[in-house]
Amino acid sequence: MRFKEESVEEKLDHIKRKQEEMSIHKHFPADPVKQAVDKFPLLPEFLKVRGLVKQHLDSFNYFVKTDIKKIVRANDRIVSSVDPSIYLRFKDVRIGEPSITVDGISEKLNPHTCRLSDMTYAAPILVNIEYITGSHVQKTRVEKNDVVIGRMPIMLRSCCCVLYKKDEAELARLGECPLDPGGYFVVKGTEKVILIQEQLSKNRIIIDTDKKGNINASVTSSTESTKSKTVIVMEKEKIWLQLNQFTSKIPIMIVMKAMGMESDQEVVQMVGRNPRYSALLLPSMEECASHGIYTQQQALEFLERKVKKLPFYNPSLEKEGRGMAILRDTFIANVPVRQNNFRPKCLYVAVMLRRMMDAILNKDAMDDKDYVGNKRLELSGQLISLLFEDLFKTMISEVKKTIDAILAKPSRSSRFDFSQFIVRDSITVGLERTLSTGNWDVKRFRMHRKGMSQVVARLSYIGSLGHMTKISPQFEKSRKVSGPRALQPSQWGMLCPCDTPEGEACGLVKNLALMTHVTTDEEESPLISLCYSLGVEDLELLSGEELHTPNSFLIIFNGLILGKHRRPQRFANALRKLRRAGKIGEFVSVFVNEKQHCVYIASDGGRVCRPVVIADKGKSRIKEHHMKELIDGVRTFDDFLRDGLIEYLDVNEENNALIALYEADAKPETTHIEIEPFTILGVCAGLIPFPHHNQSPRNTYQCAMGKQAMGNIAYNQLCRMDSLLYLLVYPQRPLLTTRTIELVGYDKLGAGQNATVAVMSYSGYDIEDAIVMNKSSLDRGFGRCIVMKKFSAVNQRYENNASDRIVRPLKVGHDAERMQILDDDGLAAPGEIIKPNDIYINKESPIITKGPLISPVGLPDSAYKPSRQTFKGPEGEASVVDRVALCSDKNSNLCIKFLIRHTRRPEVGDKFSSRHGQKGVCGTIIQQEDFPFSERGICPDLIMNPHGFPSRMTVGKMIELLGGKAGVSCGRFHYGSAFGEPSGHADKVETISKTLVKHGFSYSGKDFIYSGITGCPLQAYIFMGPIYYQKLKHMVLDKMHARGSGPRVMLTRQPTEGRARNGGLRVGEMERDCLIAYGASMLIFERLMVSSDPFEVQVCRVCGLLGYYNHKLKIGICSTCKNGDNISTMKLPYACKLLFQELQAMNVVPRLKLTEA
Amino acid sequence: MEGVSYQRFPKIKIREVKDDYAKFELRETDASMANALRRVMIAEVPTVAIDLVEIEVNSSVLNDEFIAHRLGLIPLTSERAMAMRFSRDCDACDGDGQCEFCSVEFHLRAKCMTDETLDVTSKDLISSDHTVVPVDFSDSSGYDSADKKGIIIVKLRRGQELRLRAIARKGIGKDHAKWSPAATVTFMYEPEIHINEDLMESLTLEEKTSWVESSPTKVFDIDASSQQVVVADAEAYTYDDEVLKKAEAMGKPGLVEIYAKEDSFIFTVESTGAIKASQLVLNAIDVLKQKLDAVRLSEDTVEADDQFGELGAHMRGG
Repeated sequence: MRFKEESVEEKLDHIKRKQEEMSIHKHFPADPVKQAVDKFPLLPEFLKVRGLVKQHLDSFNYFVKTDIKKIVRANDRIVSSVDPSIYLRFKDVRIGEPSITVDGISEKLNPHTCRLSDMTYAAPILVNIEYITGSHVQKTRVEKNDVVIGRMPIMLRSCCCVLYKKDEAELARLGECPLDPGGYFVVKGTEKVILIQEQLSKNRIIIDTDKKGNINASVTSSTESTKSKTVIVMEKEKIWLQLNQFTSKIPIMIVMKAMGMESDQEVVQMVGRNPRYSALLLPSMEECASHGIYTQQQALEFLERKVKKLPFYNPSLEKEGRGMAILRDTFIANVPVRQNNFRPKCLYVAVMLRRMMDAILNKDAMDDKDYVGNKRLELSGQLISLLFEDLFKTMISEVKKTIDAILAKPSRSSRFDFSQFIVRDSITVGLERTLSTGNWDVKRFRMHRKGMSQVVARLSYIGSLGHMTKISPQFEKSRKVSGPRALQPSQWGMLCPCDTPEGEACGLVKNLALMTHVTTDEEESPLISLCYSLGVEDLELLSGEELHTPNSFLIIFNGLILGKHRRPQRFANALRKLRRAGKIGEFVSVFVNEKQHCVYIASDGGRVCRPVVIADKGKSRIKEHHMKELIDGVRTFDDFLRDGLIEYLDVNEENNALIALYEADAKPETTHIEIEPFTILGVCAGLIPFPHHNQSPRNTYQCAMGKQAMGNIAYNQLCRMDSLLYLLVYPQRPLLTTRTIELVGYDKLGAGQNATVAVMSYSGYDIEDAIVMNKSSLDRGFGRCIVMKKFSAVNQRYENNASDRIVRPLKVGHDAERMQILDDDGLAAPGEIIKPNDIYINKESPIITKGPLISPVGLPDSAYKPSRQTFKGPEGEASVVDRVALCSDKNSNLCIKFLIRHTRRPEVGDKFSSRHGQKGVCGTIIQQEDFPFSERGICPDLIMNPHGFPSRMTVGKMIELLGGKAGVSCGRFHYGSAFGEPSGHADKVETISKTLVKHGFSYSGKDFIYSGITGCPLQAYIFMGPIYYQKLKHMVLDKMHARGSGPRVMLTRQPTEGRARNGGLRVGEMERDCLIAYGASMLIFERLMVSSDPFEVQVCRVCGLLGYYNHKLKIGICSTCKNGDNISTMKLPYACKLLFQELQAMNVVPRLKLTEA
Repeated sequence: MEGVSYQRFPKIKIREVKDDYAKFELRETDASMANALRRVMIAEVPTVAIDLVEIEVNSSVLNDEFIAHRLGLIPLTSERAMAMRFSRDCDACDGDGQCEFCSVEFHLRAKCMTDETLDVTSKDLISSDHTVVPVDFSDSSGYDSADKKGIIIVKLRRGQELRLRAIARKGIGKDHAKWSPAATVTFMYEPEIHINEDLMESLTLEEKTSWVESSPTKVFDIDASSQQVVVADAEAYTYDDEVLKKAEAMGKPGLVEIYAKEDSFIFTVESTGAIKASQLVLNAIDVLKQKLDAVRLSEDTVEADDQFGELGAHMRGG
């Protein structure tokens, strides 16, 4: 009956659809392509609510609001094992306002003061407690609120931060840049970002092959209490279970029997009655029978024998045996066992087996580990929560230990206050240390990961944004595999296809795309009960046979099998409808997998998702009036979500959707429409104009170089005290912009200048990508940059209470000249010009720093030795002391920081780059009068060699030039957003050319140019116009190095190595080979010995050993022969002499045989 | 070669002269002469510009070097520059460049006392010599003449202060662009356009218009009455060959012939305001003469070889 109804419904539906199709066709010629709704205004709105680093903030907020409470609730009691009636209970936990307590006074913190004074931006963790106090007889329950148990570093702009929801003016008052996205921590004055970690998804069945080619099904289970990995593997036709707790593989059938599945038939039914499955299962059953195991009891005994023996194993603790315990708690731990009911677990294993067999029968059913839907991104909140859980548990056990020790004492004082024993330091220090080193060593969860947090790259604004979206890989970089490095089709719209480093980490390190959101966990139980009320048949009520009836789909919620549903599509639609109506969380994903006959519902954290416009039968739900309301400000992005116009799709659900790129491309089957195509790119790639016209690797190169470009860092850049800061003196906004540039604020904090570029050859100093620069342009400030370096000094206090002192500079005498820039307080004065070897702090330290305490005031001058700090900058360059800051560090020592500024103009060898991966060094600088000029008087700022184009195929750069030229002549910023031509976010070359012609230029962008040297016209038309150029941080001044004589290494007496140590330039193995081949023996001799480590030795001609020179007798003496009769003097490399002596020390005697030379 | 004189007598016809703009024709000479004039105007006509800045107080947002660089680029009126001495060969002050013959002192004192942002402009620079002052743009440009419209040096907010002493010296554009009096100096060859009337007549009006419009600049026009193609503005032609290509594409090669006259140049000179554009040309000619004199005078001296090296030897016919 029901069936019939549906078919009628379907038929009606079908007819309706037909009619609609027809009507569409009828309409089509009448009104040609109805103007697609411009959905672009959604983007800025989206970014306004989301910000650029929402993933970090959401994750941290989730931790602070929910996760931390869960952790504390799960471990809320400290009960004394001596007297169980004495306990402490944590009732509630919350994070207070960021503040610091100095000498009992609590002071509010703001992030910028923390940055400047090397403090940690942290807030107290406050708990409400309830505990028993009193003596033996009289016990009272006491409650205490807001007890501090430690300090939690606070993520900037999270809900705990003082910057939360502050407007621009308030941010400015706090010394913060309004464009700074937050999402990082300030730990000991350095900004630390916890990188997004990529991982394989937890609690999901993954079918894969191992190294031997065996197919296996694995589940990495992770629950609040345990983490385990279960692998079921097919080896030699038999199926085995691999689990860490067992010494060897266990036949799967034994495991099933141990869980109470004694009947083989039931197992077969659960896997599926298809004979092909049974055939694959048969060898395993025989294996089980061959062990003579038929009952649960026998199986458990078998498991007992296989359990790994633990060193501190106490058999008395468990009644039912370890085998059972492991099966219950560790084996696929994500499936809960309630009241020893193993049936859900058995079914789960059956599903795993079935999936595995599907994969054996049909290779397509194999899972792809690189598929983005199988990945989860672990964010700062999750990582901190892990850490906090560990530290909290450690603290509880510590407290327990101390109170037990106290309570165990027979004669303890009458008053016993539990709350006194809560230690705060362990949590504070643990969090701070882990965040600042980035080493997550959580023993409880067997987690040892390094480099999880990094110092925020503050080289350029884009660099720091890019750092926040970076995803660090799960694999180690050294693996030489191509799979995980390749571009995955499922990355579309989620991860940027361009932004990845070159070299070893290529393809492993990824970046989020512009609109990507990473989900956080969502409450599971309401969703589960919702599923049941939507018609999911409970697993408990189904027989094994019923599980896999055709047309019924398994409902899998966060990796847990809930049951089955007979009409999966309807179920999925119902759930989606609820989601669009806002009844369930917007990030819940529903994915109907037709192949596996499953419906996957996911509400877990770490999934990547993105917003798309919902379409009904190919028609966008967003209509003109919606956009108008948005522009008028009466509708926000959240309203779009709430009204079901837009929804978030995760990677899995995207497979159930047909997403049209543009509304015009939509077909009746289309379910969604993209908001804007350029959002598939990330922040870094979004800066490139016309990236879709470039060869793909060029965009990747630019993504790496954009992070090295100098420019403005933040509005508060001049108030910061970074250890190294590169700024451009006159940064500009690119003439050819993209929508992304405007969205992320690159137009406000640019990192480059618009240079008029002539593409021609000039002077020969432009080969190999070198560029020729106009000296007058440099005079006028092109490429001029400021380099700021921080030098710090500490006024140290020693253990004997003596401390360093800073004294008045000498006015006369030997060092007076080097102290000219010092003020009377002994510190360099701001604004003074400082040269290399100048003293910037006239510090003296006490000679005696150990031993008994002395009074620091009474020490005479003679008790101090000078420990002045001298400035070591580039030789021959004058820098300026920009600022001097004083603060006290955590040991309350006076800490002095000097910021030294150096303004540089470009010189030969400095590196520049356009936004198309075309880097080059400045090859030569030429006077303006020698530069070519056009009859309009336009003279280029730099000349680029045309050979840079053919092989690189950066057509985008050419279009940028054209667009820039049109832009300056018509006075409008032109756009070059990726894939933007159809939607009007990129200007077409055709229209650009028209603009050019309108302003009297050639449509091709080429100009008629005269040589500046001869005044004659050049033979060819020159392609000339403005291109946005970036100055990269690599400058010759920081790299150039030469040495005549200089320092030597003590051990070998050879010249030191490296520029920092003023080292020599090594004639290496290959250079030596060249000289040998050429036969320049004297040159080799000079390089390898005379200029390196010549050493005069006394050699005994008789015994061949080295002697010594007796300066008193003025003869060489052989200490072996005890005379000076047969001594010759010769020169040897000192390293050679050293080798001889080391050999002698090992009882090997090297003897020299001398011949007359 | 020997004895042949290439001496010619170039003619100049002035088309337009404004304070900071000049357009003239230079005829009967060749590219070397025109280019020499252009190069000298850019690089070797002396002006006065701020070269040394002593900062007393600077609490502005810009750092000292930044402000010094901006001060240097402010054009100062430099009519006197030709008569001044270079500080390096000034006898009166031992070359330290602090005397009236070679330098001008400036003072700048600004402090913002209000809540409104204070713009410190070139108008705030107080000169010790009334002949050398920052260039005033307000009257010449015509717009916003009521406002004080100097070149902004820095903006100050409440409480910020800038106090400095600056010394302006004579210099040339070759050393630093701040001493270059020229904003734009450029020339073009005068084009000579011959329309093949017969061939042109064979075109329809439509073809004519499309041909005329093929030029990005308005070189040709169609006479409204006679429907003939006429040269509207030969100098608008930018040697872009568009019309030639168009003619070829239309199947009428030779429709028009365009040559560049090898011996006549149209100069456009724009000055920064340091000296008048007309004076800039005259000064350039003076400087060019001096340079030639220097070559000619030391023609046969021994030090000429040191000074001019190969050039000297070459000129003596070596």
